[in-house]
Amino acid sequence: MGTKIVNRIMLITGLISLLHAAFSAAHHRTYLRLTEQDWTHLPVDVIVQTVVSLLVVVYNLIQVVGNFKEIRATVDMQEKSWDTLGNLPSFYTFNHRGMALYQNYEAEPTTNIGNKSSLDVDY
Amino acid sequence: MSYNFKEMCWKDVRDQFRKWREDNERRSDEVIQLWEALLENHVQKTGNERHLILEQVLIAGFDTSRLDIAGKCIETLSIEFPESMRVMKFEAMRLEALQMYEEATDLLDEIISKDETNAAPRKRKIAILKARGMRSEAIKDLSEYLKTFMSDQEAWHELCGLYLAEGDYSKAVFCMEELLLHNPHSHLIHQRIAEIRYTMGGMENVEIARIYYSQALKLNPNNLRALYGLYLCCSYITNSRALGSKRKEAQKMAQWALETAGVRTISSSKIPSNDKLVSSLECALGSLDIKSN
Repeated sequence: MGTKIVNRIMLITGLISLLHAAFSAAHHRTYLRLTEQDWTHLPVDVIVQTVVSLLVVVYNLIQVVGNFKEIRATVDMQEKSWDTLGNLPSFYTFNHRGMALYQNYEAEPTTNIGNKSSLDVDY
Repeated sequence: MSYNFKEMCWKDVRDQFRKWREDNERRSDEVIQLWEALLENHVQKTGNERHLILEQVLIAGFDTSRLDIAGKCIETLSIEFPESMRVMKFEAMRLEALQMYEEATDLLDEIISKDETNAAPRKRKIAILKARGMRSEAIKDLSEYLKTFMSDQEAWHELCGLYLAEGDYSKAVFCMEELLLHNPHSHLIHQRIAEIRYTMGGMENVEIARIYYSQALKLNPNNLRALYGLYLCCSYITNSRALGSKRKEAQKMAQWALETAGVRTISSSKIPSNDKLVSSLECALGSLDIKSN
């Protein structure tokens, strides 16, 4: 959790630094225009700042967003067992041993007085 | 498994519930226990996940006969979503849990007449037939359902289970093969087909079972059940009246399977230095084998 916060702070700093680099580049262009020089290339410090902050942003974004998923299709499947694969929620039936097993079961007094099955036991 | 409730906070419970939902685990007893102990008072804080959690809890409530909890969850949901089909389906499930099947079926019919394309109430109707023990009717209805909703994996799976319960193996295999088309990488489905084929018996089916077991092992080398199944198939072929070369190959494979299974059993066992136990068990099983032949 601690590293996540560090990553988040780094990400924000990286984004700000990237914005700053863009701003300095624009600033450089206006400076050249005012001093009537020809535009050849950006100053090295701006390029370095752009590249470094881009790398920082990419790395920290990956750390913040979440874990990678396995690229091989079988690896996810290997973890599964028949217990979870054979579990079909839309076809659940409820007339199983759960009815009698759980001691705190109490029939709802209003609805099922007339519909008591042989499984219902008075506790 | 029991949980130390004092060490968990409601966020842990929420994550645990999410994990169970994603992994498709039933775990009804644990869900109810954790719900009562921790999550019930904090459910408002879970945001968008709240409705999913309520649904999970209410189904767990039916499972453990905690109709009081389930009733409360349905009430909360129906206040928020009045006239919702989904909530109506839960109401039908409540009737089911009370074993009022006629009323439940009527309610489900009503939902279906309102929304023809809704698959869930149709499935519930089949589950009701199953709960009443009317398996052949359930099979008929489910086949009818699958004509319309052909890509429903769960339904194919259920149909396979129903056919297995009826002992109609060839149709069960067909359903499983249908599932295999949906998940060609699932070792469990390969294993299941192999098991059904092996149960059907006969040289041809055992040969097919061996192929499926091998594929299951290829997809997941840790599948001990498939390894043992491969051993059984191969030893069946060895003892059959097949060609000599085939029998020899099968014998080799059987030996390999047994050895690998032995190594895996020893390495994954929790008892330290259990070689002796395993070998004596093997001896006992081996003598059983000779007698059965």
